[in-house]
Amino acid sequence: MNTNKHEKFNATTQRNEGSCTVFLSGELDLSVAPDFRLVMEPLVGNSELDLIINMKDLKYIDSTGIGILLSILKARHGVKARFVVEEVPTQIQKLFDMTGIAKFFAPNENSQ
Amino acid sequence: MNAEVQRVVITLPALADYVDIVRLNLYGIASKMGFSYEDIEDMKVAVSEACNNSVLYAYNEQDGMVEVVFEVHRDLLSITVRDEGEGFERVASSTSRMTLHDKELHDVGIGGLGFYLMEALMDEVSIENETGRGTKVVMTKRLMRTEAKV
Repeated sequence: MNTNKHEKFNATTQRNEGSCTVFLSGELDLSVAPDFRLVMEPLVGNSELDLIINMKDLKYIDSTGIGILLSILKARHGVKARFVVEEVPTQIQKLFDMTGIAKFFAPNENSQ
Repeated sequence: MNAEVQRVVITLPALADYVDIVRLNLYGIASKMGFSYEDIEDMKVAVSEACNNSVLYAYNEQDGMVEVVFEVHRDLLSITVRDEGEGFERVASSTSRMTLHDKELHDVGIGGLGFYLMEALMDEVSIENETGRGTKVVMTKRLMRTEAKV
């Protein structure tokens, strides 16, 4: 489970045909929010590609991170383009459900 | 003897880079007490949100400190996050304590989500906020033992 190990935040972008997947790992909190914004900024406006965030290795997210996801949702809605989160860990899904942001994420038909 | 309370106090700069240090301390103390993985994750989020508020709103970008006190009781953990800044009335006002459940995407903001999470994830949360005298958030989580240890 590695909860005692400090894990540095990292975001890796992978281009595929028709989509772009950003793999997140470590802890997404206030201190790395600017880094996350910087990675996402050039991607959110591109309506040609589906935008996917993979959270398999994300250990932690706070309200700052959830706020950024919300702004991405809004931007993607604005350009009428798909935005999907996939492989969301249980603990993070719980926060998405609690805050209500969960209902804005489109189901990913590829993941099941 | 049983009622004895032990305190761990840490004082940190009110900077985003130190909030993970609070989480690491919390993890150490809570796991030592026997809290479940899920409870520890819940407390991590709640305590970080309290620290975030001190970092973001207490000192108006000037240097300041945040004090975190862990009070270890026999069957509960109480955590106090205190700063000496200006407070965060703007965020703490009741109108902004909300979730996104009843909202449409175009009219949601994120102000207040941190407070909502604190209250939803802990058993008790109290927020004292006096202008000019800082903000004190006290939150507690009860220790649920899954199996009695003799």
